[in-house]
Amino acid sequence: MSRRPLPRGLRARLIVAFALVTMLGAGAASWASAESASDALVDSSQRRLTEDFAERIGAIAPTLTYPPDQETLDRLRAAVGPNTTVTYEDLRSSEGPHADLITDELLDAVGDGDRIATQRITDDGPWLLIGAPVMITAPDGTRTPSGIEVYAVRDLAEVHRQIAALASSAIGTAGAALPLSVLVALIAARSVLRPVRELRDTARRLADGDLDARTPPLGADELAQLAVTVNEMAESVQGSMAAMGRMQADARRFAADVSHELRTPLTTLTAVAEVLEDASGGMEADAAESARLAITEIHRLVRLVEDLMEVSRFDAGTVHPRLEEVDLAEAVRDSLRARGWLDRVETTGPETIRLRADRRRLDVIIANLVGNALRHGAPPVRIDLSASETHVRIEVTDHGPGLSDQALPHVFDRFYKADNARTRTPGSGLGLAIALENARLHGGDLTAGNADGGGAAFILRLPIGSEEP
Amino acid sequence: MRRIWSAAFALLLAGCGVQPSEVTDGGTAPTGVAPGVTLYFVDEQGALVPSERDTGRLGTIADALALLLTGPGDSDLRTEIPSGDVTRVTVTVGEDVVELRVPLAADEVTPLGTDQIVCTALAAHVQAGGSAEVKARVHFTLPEPDSDALRTCPLTE
Repeated sequence: MSRRPLPRGLRARLIVAFALVTMLGAGAASWASAESASDALVDSSQRRLTEDFAERIGAIAPTLTYPPDQETLDRLRAAVGPNTTVTYEDLRSSEGPHADLITDELLDAVGDGDRIATQRITDDGPWLLIGAPVMITAPDGTRTPSGIEVYAVRDLAEVHRQIAALASSAIGTAGAALPLSVLVALIAARSVLRPVRELRDTARRLADGDLDARTPPLGADELAQLAVTVNEMAESVQGSMAAMGRMQADARRFAADVSHELRTPLTTLTAVAEVLEDASGGMEADAAESARLAITEIHRLVRLVEDLMEVSRFDAGTVHPRLEEVDLAEAVRDSLRARGWLDRVETTGPETIRLRADRRRLDVIIANLVGNALRHGAPPVRIDLSASETHVRIEVTDHGPGLSDQALPHVFDRFYKADNARTRTPGSGLGLAIALENARLHGGDLTAGNADGGGAAFILRLPIGSEEP
Repeated sequence: MRRIWSAAFALLLAGCGVQPSEVTDGGTAPTGVAPGVTLYFVDEQGALVPSERDTGRLGTIADALALLLTGPGDSDLRTEIPSGDVTRVTVTVGEDVVELRVPLAADEVTPLGTDQIVCTALAAHVQAGGSAEVKARVHFTLPEPDSDALRTCPLTE
């Protein structure tokens, strides 16, 4: 027998359970009532048959000669009915096809006693066996056995049929309860499943980020308690998220404030550095070296503060690109020329690519990528320009050792440095983060990887006609 | 699973049929056979005595009374009932009372003779399986006051 898959849904399971319980209950009730009814039926028909048996014998007994001869026994047997046996000492009168069904137990009971004995047997159908000694009563009422014994076999098939009819009507009653139970189960399933569905929807909205989602609890049952608990959970998550958001905003504002406050003293420092630079020509060698070191660090500090302010602006969401028509090849050349890198970088690609972009920010990205390649990678550094219908693609590759597997996922993280030993590189540690933010500002993307030749490869993709960021 | 269901179904069906049983009691055994009938006559001392008459069967109350009215025959006993040509007695057996209509006038029968009739009728009734508590009422052709009172046999009291 192949096992059928059990129904999975709550509704199906509820209906099956309801139907089973109903069938069991109705079946047990009808079975019990049919059982007691059949007992009563058997009892009453047994009593009726026995009384009829005794009456027939009692009616004919005074007319029987005693001691009886064969003819007398035949008369008695005929009076009692078919399937009857009458015995007296060695005489015996028997008639009927089922007269020999009498059991030894019954013979013993009749032979020993002075009362009617009955027994039910099922031998090729239900039968009632009745046996009785015929008594002699003295005028004063004392009874002695006469020696005549009468045995009769009576058919209980009719009772059996009535009981079978009772049983089948009981089964029918139980069956009639089935549709009703399914209906009740449907209603019950509805009342259970609706709150469950609402809870599911609420949980899904919470998972999708809608922290305002709540389920109004209905009633006071376990499902309502669950709804209250879910609401409390959502409340708590919402509170935590709000607190976290506040803390993040505070941290960003702090960074912005710090970098802003540092700017004024740095302006002064820059002016001092310029004076120092002019004066360093007349200094002694040691003093000139110290001055040069101080100047370098001051420039680096200025750069760091500027980058910090830029990042803060991105975090605050206050950056808006000024889009204009840009010739890509020319923009790249301008960037390289401004930093004196024209002869160190090889640029390939068509001259005619134009796109809408913020020229200053595009310059920041290119300068950062090329600067990184020149600083950390090895020459030759190449820039490949290409364009599809919707996007331009700018790939900057070098021939250095490339990016390690550990570094690759983190190159765009703030203040991440692939080589911890070289902490004193001129970069602020924010360059690539700012480049990525700028690319995204244009609706584009910046990805890092390794070129086939082994060097690092940064690929910038920008949309050609980005009207809005 | 299938086995459980079929077992439950078999139980259901088995519970709903006629079950075999042990031997059980079915009540009092029938009675009524007897080698003869008991008639009541009067002996020399004037006392009621039962007298077996070998008729081969018990017969009815009416048969017994007919034999009684016929007389004691050639025995030592006598009867206090006058003999007549008509010996037919109409007997009606009720629940508590046996009604006897005898072809005699009340003044023809002595109280002892009435007892003979009552005792013979009640003895035949008891021997045929009737209740011992039953009383008899004798209806004469010419009644006297209280002649149809309910009577019992003085011998069985």
